[in-house]
Amino acid sequence: MEQLLTAKRLILRIGLALAVLAAVMFVCSLVGTETVSLKAVLTGPGTQAAPNPDYEIFIRIRLPRIILAGLVGAALACAGVVFQVLLRNPLADPYILGISSGAGLGAIIAVISGFNWTLWGRSPIAVFAFAGALGTVWLVWFIGRLTGKFHVTGLLLAGVVVNAFFSALMMFLTSIAKSDQVYATIFWLMGNMREGDFLVLWIAAGCVGGGIVALFYIGPQLNALSFGADDARSMGVNVARTRTIAFGIAAAITAVAVSLSGLIGFVGLVVPHGVRLVFGPDHRQLLPMSGIAGAIFLVIADTLARIIVAPAQLPVGVVTAIVGGPFFLIILVKYSRKVSWLK
Amino acid sequence: MSGIIEVDNLTFGYTSETVILKDMCFSVRPGTFVAIAGPNGAGKSTLLNLMCRALTPNSGTIRIDTAAIESYNTKALASKVAVVRQELVPAFGFSVMETILMARTPYYGSTGFETRHDREIANDALEATDTARFAYRPLTSLSSGERQRVFIARALAQNSPIMLLDEPTSFLDLKHQVGIYDLLKTAQVEKGKTIVAVTHDINLATQYCDEILLLGADGGYHIGKTKAVLSAEKVKEIFDVNVFAGEIGPEKFFVPLGKFANDKRKMNKESGNI
Repeated sequence: MEQLLTAKRLILRIGLALAVLAAVMFVCSLVGTETVSLKAVLTGPGTQAAPNPDYEIFIRIRLPRIILAGLVGAALACAGVVFQVLLRNPLADPYILGISSGAGLGAIIAVISGFNWTLWGRSPIAVFAFAGALGTVWLVWFIGRLTGKFHVTGLLLAGVVVNAFFSALMMFLTSIAKSDQVYATIFWLMGNMREGDFLVLWIAAGCVGGGIVALFYIGPQLNALSFGADDARSMGVNVARTRTIAFGIAAAITAVAVSLSGLIGFVGLVVPHGVRLVFGPDHRQLLPMSGIAGAIFLVIADTLARIIVAPAQLPVGVVTAIVGGPFFLIILVKYSRKVSWLK
Repeated sequence: MSGIIEVDNLTFGYTSETVILKDMCFSVRPGTFVAIAGPNGAGKSTLLNLMCRALTPNSGTIRIDTAAIESYNTKALASKVAVVRQELVPAFGFSVMETILMARTPYYGSTGFETRHDREIANDALEATDTARFAYRPLTSLSSGERQRVFIARALAQNSPIMLLDEPTSFLDLKHQVGIYDLLKTAQVEKGKTIVAVTHDINLATQYCDEILLLGADGGYHIGKTKAVLSAEKVKEIFDVNVFAGEIGPEKFFVPLGKFANDKRKMNKESGNI
């Protein structure tokens, strides 16, 4: 009984992890090119004539950016968990079914068209990327269904081909675009955190948080699905429903993340594996812990992106890969001695 | 006829041209241990998949506990029929206990966690299959024989009256083969389970199974009491191989005779063929 996951143990662990996340966010919010004094922040926004610069930087720039990084990290890590179990493939990540190229294509179409309207405070790039991401997932899912009842190979192949096709379209558009447009697209593709306004952040937080909670509730079904669809079905799991819910939520939160921050690689692949190595494969624990770990990881990565080459900024996608790669290898070597299924 | 599984005029083919099961009718009485045997490609596993609704018949009906199999929802069917498939490899490293508890997934309710009742059922399954000593080891660190016991434990934890098994002993050594069949027989005798197992081993089937369904490659089949159905002639007809059928005490056994079998050469020599 010692090692079984219980509700009490899970709540305790999630609580501890959330405390670590809060501490990391707090520390990171104080780090940056400008030194911010917490005391000065607490004195309030100041007056119209004499605004409080510390307050402005902390509340309007740092905080939204850190919250955004946390949200995107959580969304990508959870989506990675879901795609890995649905496709029963440890190499799966949130972008495996072409979401990245769909979002990228949407973004570059927005850039080239020269749209300059905004929707809920977001640039058309975000809106187009969101639509492109969801449209691509739907297309891949639809083609996958044509190849048979949720054939994993069919789905993966459809994803790879759609990905390649949309990437080619993207490259075509990039090659006919003007150079400043190309720069904007490339910067977007590398993934970076821009300060959003709070309304957008709260909407996104609602989507991502709600999605993760919903995924938690199908955790036991996802566990059963690790043994394959036939086996899960004969244990009494409604496979079609579980898959549709899991797939829909994972695609939606990935699309939200991508439209807010561009393409940030590595989080969705590495964080689930790291958490699985440390805490085991039970999805009731894996999903919330991956979400929190993904948030911590991306908040730290984004802070590094802000300070490494300050006052310039690196795209956070570069940092996730540079920091995440070695970090993951350390976890892999340290824990795989205990975990025999890797061998 | 009051069978817990009743198959009526069942016809199935993966494509419309190649029908592998044709007009099958049989019934399995509650609490019996039935073997399904036959040559490769005769449709043994297919029949098993039809009986757990992993496949849908082209025509004909299957009734589980008097209700048509299509009328069950997934959870209700799982409460009637548990399945042990061949050599399952999970995608991730679940422990033995976690694997067995998965059988309780449909009963978790809104908390997402197993109740004490679910744990008791899982513990009983661990005890019954002698897997308790590695309950917290990952499934992947076990041998084939141990792993097979875990999947049988998981099927037991479903608390279903029927258990279907696809070649439960195909990768096991002699000791583990007998161990698995002992385990199944115990479940039949002590818990009253109805067990249907696909097997290649007609010798184990004659020892342990009450009835046997012999499926021929041409779609023909025989069903009946194991010892009555199995004879040297029937085995030759179904498997297309010569056998030596012997009896020691109450046990009947069959030894396949290939071209170089000692008996055959001796027999041939005596009759002057060599």
